[in-house]
Amino acid sequence: MSDNRALRRAHVLANHILQSNPPSSNPSLSRELCLQYSPPELNESYGFDVKEMRKLLDGHNVVDRDWIYGLMMQSNLFNRKERGGKIFVSPDYNQTMEQQREITMKRIWYLLENGVFKGWLTETGPEAELRKLALLEVCGIYDHSVSIKVGVHFFLWGNAVKFFGTKRHHEKWLKNTEDYVVKGCFAMTELGHGSNVRGIETVTTYDPKTEEFVINTPCESAQKYWIGGAANHATHTIVFSQLHINGTNQGVHAFIAQIRDQDGSICPNIRIADCGHKIGLNGVDNGRIWFDNLRIPRENLLNAVADVSSDGKYVSSIKDPDQRFGAFMAPLTSGRVTIASSAIYSAKVGLSIAIRYSLSRRAFSVTANGPEVLLLDYPSHQRRLLPLLAKTYAMSFAANELKMIYVKRTPETNKAIHVVSSGFKAVLTWHNMHTLQECREAVGGQGVKTENLVGQLKGEFDVQTTFEGDNNVLMQQVSKALFAEYVSCKKRNKPFKGLGLEHMNSPRPVLPTQLTSSTLRCSQFQKSVFCLRERDLLERFTSEVAELQGRGESREFLFLLNHQLSEDLSKAFTEKAILQTVLDAEAKLPPGSVKDVLGLVRSMYALISLEEDPSLLRYGHLSRDNVGDVRKEVSKLCGELRPHALALVASFGIPDAFLSPIAFNWVEANAWSSL
Amino acid sequence: MAVEMASQSQVLVEEKSSVRILTLNRPKQLNALSFQMISRLLQLFLAFEEDPSVKLVILKGNGRAFCAGGDVAAVVRDIEQGNWRLGANFFSDEYMLNYVMATYSKAQVSILNGIVMGGGAGVSIHGRFRIATENTVFAMPETALGLFPDVGASYFLSRLPGFFGEYVGLTGARLDGAEMLACGLATHFVPSTRLTALEADLCRVGSNDPTFASTILNAYTQHPRLKQQSAYHRLDVIDRCFSRRTVEEIISALEREATQEADGWISATIQALKKASPASLKISLRSIREGRLQGVGQCLIREYRMVCHVMKGEISKDFVEGCRAILVDKDKNPKWEPRRLEDMKDSMVEQYFERVEEEEEWEDLKLPPRNNLPALAIAKL
Repeated sequence: MSDNRALRRAHVLANHILQSNPPSSNPSLSRELCLQYSPPELNESYGFDVKEMRKLLDGHNVVDRDWIYGLMMQSNLFNRKERGGKIFVSPDYNQTMEQQREITMKRIWYLLENGVFKGWLTETGPEAELRKLALLEVCGIYDHSVSIKVGVHFFLWGNAVKFFGTKRHHEKWLKNTEDYVVKGCFAMTELGHGSNVRGIETVTTYDPKTEEFVINTPCESAQKYWIGGAANHATHTIVFSQLHINGTNQGVHAFIAQIRDQDGSICPNIRIADCGHKIGLNGVDNGRIWFDNLRIPRENLLNAVADVSSDGKYVSSIKDPDQRFGAFMAPLTSGRVTIASSAIYSAKVGLSIAIRYSLSRRAFSVTANGPEVLLLDYPSHQRRLLPLLAKTYAMSFAANELKMIYVKRTPETNKAIHVVSSGFKAVLTWHNMHTLQECREAVGGQGVKTENLVGQLKGEFDVQTTFEGDNNVLMQQVSKALFAEYVSCKKRNKPFKGLGLEHMNSPRPVLPTQLTSSTLRCSQFQKSVFCLRERDLLERFTSEVAELQGRGESREFLFLLNHQLSEDLSKAFTEKAILQTVLDAEAKLPPGSVKDVLGLVRSMYALISLEEDPSLLRYGHLSRDNVGDVRKEVSKLCGELRPHALALVASFGIPDAFLSPIAFNWVEANAWSSL
Repeated sequence: MAVEMASQSQVLVEEKSSVRILTLNRPKQLNALSFQMISRLLQLFLAFEEDPSVKLVILKGNGRAFCAGGDVAAVVRDIEQGNWRLGANFFSDEYMLNYVMATYSKAQVSILNGIVMGGGAGVSIHGRFRIATENTVFAMPETALGLFPDVGASYFLSRLPGFFGEYVGLTGARLDGAEMLACGLATHFVPSTRLTALEADLCRVGSNDPTFASTILNAYTQHPRLKQQSAYHRLDVIDRCFSRRTVEEIISALEREATQEADGWISATIQALKKASPASLKISLRSIREGRLQGVGQCLIREYRMVCHVMKGEISKDFVEGCRAILVDKDKNPKWEPRRLEDMKDSMVEQYFERVEEEEEWEDLKLPPRNNLPALAIAKL
């Protein structure tokens, strides 16, 4: 391989010598007249303090983030390469699946040796949790595979031990997990059951003679599937399984099973197969697991919620199987929190690259012989990228808010966290996929080059819309919860409290008939429209379901039947919750340029959300004229955000090295001399 | 008039066809950069850039030093007279000079035949070519002075291999010419006896294209062996320890290494860290870490904020104390405040990186737009 490279280089050099300089007889082809890269910084100025804005967007642990960025840049394990006079770190996605898996593991060892994971399971409290989240986010900015592999080990395996387990498990496993003495995975999904965890088919029975549990995969559809870490590296797994005690199924429970010994050989009574090459995330070794009457000690039941006594009696403090299942699922929230925020960082990478490129790449002249126009000076290009930029800003605040309520969680806030995290996870990951596709197209052909990242990231992040709860299923959870809240408040004749529904206690807002520019940009107006939409959809949804329920149909069936309203409602709820987080962030700022720009960004977020949602027109909240005014205002806002475009992406705080060559001197990066 | 004369004699200018040779000429002060020297250099560099007849600039020092740094003793006098804003003017000009050099469109060759410290690194390392010799002694000793590695050091130190930059910047460790070449601070190593011939050859350069100077320099350069006790042989230990998140963790990582094998170099390194100003260590580490992710302009703007806070002395007065102990009284026994690392809280560190508020007409460092930014920046090192 390196011989070939050396040979090729020798050829290149030989050609240089033989041909000396490229023919320059034609003066019109001389270098001065050729296109030259001009850094956007030369022509764009920052209208606000980007460091302040970055602090606001990152929200927490900025210094820790910079530390781990530096850790990755200074190590040869992170595939440092030079392009166009700059250093980039990004995985070599041209490696085989096996190579990607091995290098991902080595990168994790390196981060471990440098103390990145210190305290991730043994320290508690919001501060420790936020630091962990920040460091994980940066891992994901480098490579989604690194963050997923780390996430499976700490957030799925580690948190399962921590939250489902009790003292004996904590003492035995947590420190060892933090030090990677054991490598954990999390076997929940099966071939036949994904989002519907209660339907899994793996069966565990208890043998009182030996005081062991016996885990079995009874059929092919019960094989554990997509288990990250299982194919190559994991030594232990959490097994989700139905627990049968004396012929009674007690529902889904979690157990610890060893699957590999310290040498990495697969344990007896375990079969493991590979999930194979994927459309992205090939640094994660997803595998399939079959259990053939695997015996594990009784102590390996994670018994925070329920236990089996040595003589085989089932005991649980939670009698209701629905609640018991809910208690098991609670730790999965952390996954949705990290996915939502990592999706936004991925969108930030895509937009930083696409916007920087659009500020240095030109195409077509407007006048004959005139200079070619910068991509971002085309109103159409602004319309493609700047609304996505504004949404990314808004969702950045949403992700921060989600993290805050998660790290400060109490038993009382669990329901709200479940609803908000479901909505945010779905909307933010969809937004990322949409953004990456637009960015890929916006940079043209360069976007299909893997090293330019925007195209590759689509494959790397696509799975976010599916794992830890399919987005569509999660959105149904949102509308179901809102339905239940509505019904319960009405039944008890109590005011709405929580989930941001308090506005339902006030009179229905009335929107002005004529929408002027200043009305459209007024935060009070924006809030009113979003509240009105949510309220109206919630009322429609509940009344449709109630009406049909009266005719004897089941509630579950009616949810399915009314899926269109249900989807509109969940979206309205989530978008309003996002808007609220921006308004809250804005309100905390002192007057000044940061606040002013954020105001523009917030208006863009609000208005583009209105423009893109036909339900406002469908249900008559906005007239045709109103919708036309909204559309005009979006285009005006594009023009006003255009001068801030560079500063707005600079405020994402993603170091140059974590972007890609087209974000910088793409002429030099592609020059013959740099071959 | 006298000032004009001083600045003329403190920087000597020779014209050799397309080449300009500048000599720092304050040998008794080891060519420490005075305010006049900095202004003069800035003026000369900008003029040479405009002048199409100039193709190459050589910078060297008269005597046994290339340049021992900025004239901080003068700055400390200003601070003590309640006039830190004069010091701010000094640093803003110095950083502007660093910036012009870092983004210079013509090749600068710095001949580092002797001491290169602090501000001396600032006027050389940012340039295209840095020639070390067997006489070169390089150091960034600021943490021992209650300051921090400035002059764009957060840019160039952070770009050294692994965490060598943190090591050099925090401990003030001295490097010789071979070590400078090995880590990339120097681009060439030429024995001092050959410097005259090299200079004469360089004077034949008639093009802006740096490959011409490069070809000449390559003909003179040597690859000296690193001395046996060189810190550069200890890169593995340096990477393991200086990569840590905080100064406290760096020191405990070094102490762990020390318990595994008794080693003079490790204990000297720990000693250096324990002698340095705790405030300086913490702001320096953070500055290098931020600098790693920033362009040279952003680095200088940040360092300017920091140096203004250092001079203002509201969080710590270690700079005045360090200069007293090292440069004035020479008792080498500074009384740092805060005294211990753990007393220097994150919130105190944070303040050094914020704008200097409530100070009349204080502004962030304003750098001129430069075409040459930011490409080449890394390739040079």
